[in-house]
Amino acid sequence: MTDVMGTTAISYTPAIIASQLTSGLDTAQAQQAALETQISTGVMINQPSDNPAGAAAVLQLNGSLARAKQYASNATDGSGWLSLGNTTMNSIVSSLQQVQQVVESVSGLSLSNQPGALQGLATQVASARQELINLANTSYGGQAIFAGTANVSQAYDQNGNYVGGGSPPTRTVAPGEQVAVAVTGDQVFGSGTSGLLGSTGILAQIVQDLQTGTTASINNVQTTDLQALKQATTQVTTQAAQLGANYQRAQAFLTQATNTQQVLQSQVSGIDGTDIAKVSTQLVQAQQSYQAALWATSQLTQQSLVQFLG
Amino acid sequence: MSDLALTIAASGLDAQQVAMDTISQNLTNANTPGYVSESAQLTTNPGGDLLGVGDGVRTAGVTQNNDTLLATNAQQTQGALSQSTALQQVLQGAQAVFPEPSSSGIAADLSSFWQSWDAITQNPSSLAPRTETVALAQNAVSDFHQASTQLSNLQANAQTQVTTSVSQVNTILHQVATLNGQITAIEGSGSPANSLVDQRNALMNTLATTIGAVGVPQGDGSLNVNVGGITLVQHSWSDTVTTTGGIGSMSLVAAASGATVPASAGTIAGQLAAINQYLPDYQAKLDAVANGLASSVNTQLAAGYTATGASGATEPLFQGSGAAGLTVNAAIAGNPQLIAASNTATLPDATNNGANAQAMAELYNAPTGPDQQYQALIQGIGTQVQAVNNQVQAQTSVATVAQQNLQAVVGVNTNDQMVKMLTFQQAYQASAKLISTVDTMMQSLIQAT
Repeated sequence: MTDVMGTTAISYTPAIIASQLTSGLDTAQAQQAALETQISTGVMINQPSDNPAGAAAVLQLNGSLARAKQYASNATDGSGWLSLGNTTMNSIVSSLQQVQQVVESVSGLSLSNQPGALQGLATQVASARQELINLANTSYGGQAIFAGTANVSQAYDQNGNYVGGGSPPTRTVAPGEQVAVAVTGDQVFGSGTSGLLGSTGILAQIVQDLQTGTTASINNVQTTDLQALKQATTQVTTQAAQLGANYQRAQAFLTQATNTQQVLQSQVSGIDGTDIAKVSTQLVQAQQSYQAALWATSQLTQQSLVQFLG
Repeated sequence: MSDLALTIAASGLDAQQVAMDTISQNLTNANTPGYVSESAQLTTNPGGDLLGVGDGVRTAGVTQNNDTLLATNAQQTQGALSQSTALQQVLQGAQAVFPEPSSSGIAADLSSFWQSWDAITQNPSSLAPRTETVALAQNAVSDFHQASTQLSNLQANAQTQVTTSVSQVNTILHQVATLNGQITAIEGSGSPANSLVDQRNALMNTLATTIGAVGVPQGDGSLNVNVGGITLVQHSWSDTVTTTGGIGSMSLVAAASGATVPASAGTIAGQLAAINQYLPDYQAKLDAVANGLASSVNTQLAAGYTATGASGATEPLFQGSGAAGLTVNAAIAGNPQLIAASNTATLPDATNNGANAQAMAELYNAPTGPDQQYQALIQGIGTQVQAVNNQVQAQTSVATVAQQNLQAVVGVNTNDQMVKMLTFQQAYQASAKLISTVDTMMQSLIQAT
């Protein structure tokens, strides 16, 4: 600008200096506030615009984390079912072994010489059958574990007939991975009146043969009945092995889900967590520049020639 | 001799006095918006004597230190900044509708909802986990309602702001036209109308930041006002602007010509972009998330059966559509046993069957499912807010520089004015000294004779 004095104007009018100081103060204050938020919340991403891709990643990771927790919960629930199933199976096997001992002890007895002893054995087997029906109706959290997905309260009725379903419940323990948390009663004991627990099943047959007490029936107990009982016991132990394997699987997936949670958690922290040391240092710098801006503003009145003119 | 010297000295006193007046005017208006600093234009009076000494000094006029190019540049950069700032405010408001990442946002609530289906699987006959799932569904629905309402409120607020700004613009357009009339009248009579021009400058600054108006100086001292090529002020005539259309199609129309006024800068342009483009986009994407949730859940339910073997197709969990219209089926809310958790209709296997609920839980974070749609929405909003934040930051620097460049020319520099003041003061004192010296000379002549 050339004017009457022939000089060129100096660029910095008080208005410009004031606006520069104001914007300097605003910037310093905004930086300080952002850093303080990061420290007080402990996270770097306090709103999506802080890091849009990071925010979406954190949402996804948090979702996966919740899913992994649910997998762990499913595996824990499944382990509970399978653990109870294993214990129950052990009891069932020992019950059947007792019956087998009874059957093997029949040798030499007959209704004619020791009717009371045979009757006692028959009662023992009958009560073993009842005990097995009770064991087969074992429930976990109010659900009969051998009833499949069909019946809540019981797998077998009082006559030993299977009233459960055809497939066992499963739990999702990893993406696309399901573990059967039980076996169905018909797989263990068979179904219908001729099943192990049924009214014409092998246990009932043994009771009847013992009660009949003839040489032929006692012979029957020791041959065909014993053979059938052994087969039934084998079937039970096979299923028990299946439950045991499933339990191992559920436990393995529980460990996996727990590890996955840790990995996901550390990934979230990596994206979102505040590096306290770094942010604290930045905050100190921001505070210093804010104070410098404040000081400069307080000096604003000294910037003019007016002060030096008498 | 003495007569000429006195005349010259007297003209010097007058000229320095006028120059002093301009300095006084400049200093007192140092902080007046739109003020353009003045300079006294001093010039020598042509000499009237034979020797050509000259006839002193005179004030040719007081001119404003204006620079049209810099002023237009400052207004345009300020208009662009105002546009981004207005958009920034609305978008940050939209971002605040979705407080993510958090443990209470839509993402977290959707996640809890999906996981709750596995709880049904763990105990299909029990009422408790089903009730929990229904409660979480209602929770998600109320999240959608709330977000949708908040977006609608932002939309309504932005529309109100545009309407208010437009009526402010109309008032200013009328004022500029009136000032044009006064300025042309005064300048036509040969006098300067500097203070009126200053007032008009201040009004033009407001118009530039509000609607992106551009001033076109005319030969007679008046200023025409254009917005996007549409003339809204011509000499002392002014048009009015009205708003037309609603969400998605709101625009400005010039009342006289009926032409659309394409505001490409200023707060109104930023708000219109939010009203027509950004907010409807967010609302549509939120609707898509809600619809995606409803269709995923209802489709999976339709593949399942209740404990009594009834098809799940007859009892969807979600009804209605869009974020605002989504509801939870009242029949299921009243009787959660209607949730089709079983994967078979065959009895008795359906009785305590949670396999369909189990499949439902695995729908979490399905590709193109509601979770991923929502993540994309959040990332989209975040990216746009980040972009507009950066834009505002960059435009602030540009506008500040443009303003400083303009201020360097038209602004009042105190130091500069002080130096001038001293110079004029000394010249004034010198002229006064000259008068007293001539007086002494005359007296010595009188006494000598």
